[in-house]
Order: sequence, then structure tokens, then C-alpha cells
Amino acid sequence: MNHGLWDRETVALLLLISVMPLALTWLWYGGLDAAGLLLLALIISGLWHVIFMLARAQPPSFAGALTALAIAMLAPEDLSIVQLVLGISFGSVMAELVFGGWGRNVLNPATVTLAFLGFGFVTAPWPELPLPLAWAAIPVALLGALFGVMPARVIAGAVVIIGGAHFLGVPVTPALPAIAVVLVLLVADPVASASTKLGGWLNGAFFGAMIILFTLGWQSAAHVQMAVSAALLTSLAAPLLDEAAIALWLAQRRRRHG
Amino acid sequence: MLNNSARSGKSNVGKTGVFDAETFGSDLLDRLFSAGLSVPTGPSLPADHAADTLLTEEAALVPAPGEELRVVPLVEVDQCVAQGQPLFSLRAAEEIKLVAPMPARVAAIELNPGRRLIQMLLFREDGGDRHAFPTEKADSDAAALRALMQEAGLWRLFRSRPFGHIPALSETPAAIFAMAADTRPAAPDPKTALSGREEALSRGLAALKLLAGDQVFLCEAKGRPLDRDMASGVRRITCGALHPQGLAGLQIHRHAPAAVDARVWDIHAEDIADLGDLLASGFLPETRLVTVTGSAMREPRLIRCQPGADLRGLCHGHVQPGPYQVLSGSVLDGQPAHWLGPRDRQASVLSRGSGKRRGHWFSAALTRAARPLPIIPTAALSQAFGGDIPAAALMRALSAGDQEAAARLGALSLLEEDLALVDYVTSAEPSLSAQLRGLLNAIEKEEAPA
Repeated sequence: MNHGLWDRETVALLLLISVMPLALTWLWYGGLDAAGLLLLALIISGLWHVIFMLARAQPPSFAGALTALAIAMLAPEDLSIVQLVLGISFGSVMAELVFGGWGRNVLNPATVTLAFLGFGFVTAPWPELPLPLAWAAIPVALLGALFGVMPARVIAGAVVIIGGAHFLGVPVTPALPAIAVVLVLLVADPVASASTKLGGWLNGAFFGAMIILFTLGWQSAAHVQMAVSAALLTSLAAPLLDEAAIALWLAQRRRRHG
Repeated sequence: MLNNSARSGKSNVGKTGVFDAETFGSDLLDRLFSAGLSVPTGPSLPADHAADTLLTEEAALVPAPGEELRVVPLVEVDQCVAQGQPLFSLRAAEEIKLVAPMPARVAAIELNPGRRLIQMLLFREDGGDRHAFPTEKADSDAAALRALMQEAGLWRLFRSRPFGHIPALSETPAAIFAMAADTRPAAPDPKTALSGREEALSRGLAALKLLAGDQVFLCEAKGRPLDRDMASGVRRITCGALHPQGLAGLQIHRHAPAAVDARVWDIHAEDIADLGDLLASGFLPETRLVTVTGSAMREPRLIRCQPGADLRGLCHGHVQPGPYQVLSGSVLDGQPAHWLGPRDRQASVLSRGSGKRRGHWFSAALTRAARPLPIIPTAALSQAFGGDIPAAALMRALSAGDQEAAARLGALSLLEEDLALVDYVTSAEPSLSAQLRGLLNAIEKEEAPA
């Protein structure tokens, strides 16, 4: 009869609203260059959405704008347009659109694009994010958790582990802007992260653990590179964490109900 | 959560109607920490609203939506029948009867081929009789109790899970859930329905123990415990305040999961009080408590009416001008109907046009091409599933038609009404309730003894 509003596009729009503080801060610091990069990413990502709409009757989604924003913020600098087009196309098509569009994908398309660009063009330097972006990520996480469109447990799990590591003396502070931006834009993705309660905590903790591992053992990596690699490994592990959480839940139920 | 022992009835929230900061605070906390959602449905009934008794001029016996009743009529058209008199017996089990909801004249009997019931229409006759049932031994002997409930039409008010049919003639339940909680939007408060009938409820519960031993669960709403200490040996469960916590499916999933070889029955507490009255007096009570609400009503109504009542009779004179649609059931799980459904306790009267909007043909074509629409796992989704069920995993199993995974995650304890909130929240297309029904039908076909 009547119906509520939590369909796919509402969620995508709420996610877009949630990331606005971060996007605006970044544009403020990046100026025209940043705006141009964002526009390019939007155009390429949008183009692929339109192509898949015409060829495969797949409704385009506002989530493409989220992907474009994450790519524009975190992509290596000094890439030529061809390299960027190649990377963004690979990410949106192979990680999202061939699976049937946003909501059916396994990995976050922005994570895949960034990993592709980073590992494909190793000479390009990774961007250094200014510290205010780390502050801007806090309202993003709060808004996302308040709307319920970002998995709050994932964010909390990561914050607990990384914060704990900080108090134990692991030098995570210099990488904080990169970690915060990657956490809210790539890891706290409702589709590609773990969806069970326990799985969410484990997912966030896994990201935190990867960050600690890389901080201690991968000295040569740039901060963004480290965070993106951790996000890629985390989203590969997410289904496993979900499966483990469900197995545990089933075992508990079997013990209780026989 | 489980509480076998007697409980002192110390907290009676809302009983006095005076604003109480402490109960308000705890109510707020309950709502914050209980998994579930509140659905806006317009003005609600005032707490001290008195229920009028209203027997509509017409009533009908109809099957529940999706139910197939193959029947043998026991009366003829134009015959006068007493309230409670058996009108049909089921073809598969002639001991199970459907009874007249009021003293009436039989106006029409409509059957499909194969004697599948469409409806039996009844016109009320004033001053008619009430059918008396022999009740000796029924409160101490399980076989006699079964026979009485089957004869008096109360058997039909049980719903057996998995699959949600009337229990078979000789089926033994692994557990019985008595629902004295209902969190559907604008549902009548079971405590109001049971006020003054606590003794009948105790007697009915004691009788149910003959059928299910110590596995009788009484689900009460949080903050609205029943006043009396019920029969000992009945397990009392407190349900959360938000929908869907007060649905039988969620409680069964949590406390006694149903399986193909462990059927779990559920029944509304008011029906158990009816059983208690029947055992005491031999007569079936005539009315049930029903709310009539919705966007097209000028004000919500609380009515005691007969089962199978004419819904237009219930809302006549109280509807706003303009086109409207009447549902039997809540706004979430109701179906357009002319008569109050066999286990429904509310009617929703909606203004036309408050339903689906018509989109552009191009977006409609795109949406249809992408079915089933992807659903994003958000906090709203897991709340709509009640919090404990792994929502995304169950949803995936349903849309993939994966029977084993769905059964492992507890789909056998659920029915369409339990997923109505999820459908509402996510506007899933095709609806998850329809997917669940398809899956249950497939499982039933495979499990059926050849």
C-alpha cells in the first residue's frame, strides 16, 4: 500500500548529504584544481552510468557521485587525463556496473579505482591531505551514523583500535587525515562493508589493525597509499567477517534452542 | 526475558493518565534501545477511549488472504442460524468447523470450483439464539479440548508455523505463543481487550497447557503487563515497545524457532479469553475489539464488533469526503477487503492517492528492468527486521530463493506479516513478503509427505 523512503536513491542522497562537510572543506583547500579533478571524475563516472543505462537498462545512481568524490580526493597527483580516465573507468565498470549497479557490488568502486591507479602508476606521488580534513571527517561520520546510512559499528571499531594504538605509542598521528578520510569515504560504505552487528565491529577493527601493521612495517608508503591499501584488504575480508559472525550467531542459537 | 515465576504488577504505565516524568523517561529509553521503528499513522486513540459495541447488519465468512478453504456447507441459503452455530466443515477434516459470528439469516453461499470458499454472506437477525456447546471434560482432557475448539471454530484462530496454515487435525504443537502484545501501527491494545476478562484468559491459558505442556508463552507489551498472575507454568515474555517486536513471528524466532517437525502455533490473547469463556459457559463470546483508523477517518474509532464484520458498516459516517479505500489489517500488512479478516483486529481507511505515485514511463521501464531492486543494508533495515536477525543475509537468501540458507536464518518462523514493515521501509520490489511466501510454498511442497 503505502511505502517508506529507504530505497536505494534515498540512501545514496543521504550519503551525499553526509559527506558534504568533507567535500566542502576539501574544495576550500584544493581550490580550482580540486574542482576540475572532481568535475572530470563526475563526468567519466556519469558517462559510464549512462552507457550502462542505455545498454543494460540499469538505472543510474547518485552513488556514482560518491565514487567520483572519493577518487578526486584520494587519487595520486600528476596523472595524465588518459591515466585517470582509464582508472576511473576500470573502477566503476569492473567493481560496480558489471555486477548490476550500486547495491549489488562486492567492492567499493572508488577503492578499486584508487588501488588500480596506485599500483598501476607507481611513480605518481600520493596527495598529502591537510589536517582540517580529519576534523571535517568527524561530522561526516556523525551525520552518516545519525541517518543510519553509514555502518556506525565499522567506524566505532576502527576508532577504538586506532585510538588504542595511539595511546600505546604507535605513531598514527601524521597519517590521521588520510585514515579519517579513507574511513568515512571508503571503509564505511553500507554496501561493501560487513552488514551484521558483530561483523561491523570486526570490519572496523580489521581496518584499524591493517593501519597499525602498515604504520609499523611499511615505512616507505605514503599515508594515503597506506590507508587505501588497508581499505582494499578490509573490503576483501568483509564477507568473511560477516560469514564468521553469522556462524557464531547460528552456533549460539543451536546451543539455546537445540 | 523469560519469567516463569509470579510477577508483582508494580508498574502500570499510563493507567492513571497523569503525566509522570519517570515513566516518560523510561518510555523514551525503551523506545531508544528497543530495536524497531515507529510508523506515522496520523492521530492515535486517546488512552482512556471507551469501546462502543457495534454489530454490523451484514457479516461474512471469508478465507484469509492467500488461504484456500475447501468446505462442506452445513446450512442452506435463507436458513436462520444461531450465533456460534457451525456453518461449514472443512473437506479435509470434517471435525474442523467455521461458525456463525452472529444470529443471522444466510443470504448467500459463494463457492469456487472444488468447493473453495469465496464467502458466505449473513444478514443479522435481531433476537436470534446463541448456540450452546457441550463443554464437559474439555478443561481437563486434551482430546475433548481439541474437539471443542474444532467444533466451536476456535481452531481456525490458531496459526501453525512454518507455513502459517490452520493446524492439521492431529497436529501437536512444540510451543504455543499467546499474543497479548501488538505493536502494529494503530493496533488495539490487547490489555484493553482483556480488561475484566483476566479470569477467562487464565482459564484459556490453563487449557492450552493441555495441548503444549509447559511450552505455552504469553507475550506481553513492555510497560503494559497484565494485571493478574496468570496460570503458573505459562512462560511470560515482555516484548519491546516498537514494531515489529510485538509480532508473533519475531518472538517465535527469538524464543522457540519453528521447524517442519516442530510446529509452533500462535493465537491472540483475546481469542484465548474467548476459549476461557466458552469453557465456563458453553457460549462463544460475540465480539472482538477492533480499531478503525487511517488517513481518511475523521477520528479513529475503537469498536467491539463481530468477527467478519462489514468494514463499510464500521466506518460509515466517520469518513472524510472524497474517495477512500478500506483495508482489513494495518496500513503495513492490510489487504483491500470488504469484510474483517478472520484474524484481523484493525481496519485501515486510507484516502485514495496516498499510495503509489505514478512515475514517468521511462523511469518505470528502468525500474522494472532492474528487478529485484537492490536494497542497501542500512540501520533502518536491521531495525525493521527487529534487530537480531542478520537482515542482509536473510534478504539475500530470500531474493536468491536459497531455501537452506533462509531456513537456517529462521525464515521458517516468519510469515508475510513479519516482513511487512521491511517492505514498507525499503519499498522492496518484488516485496520480501511475497518472496518469503514463495519460498515457504516451495519448502512445503518438498517436505509434504508423498
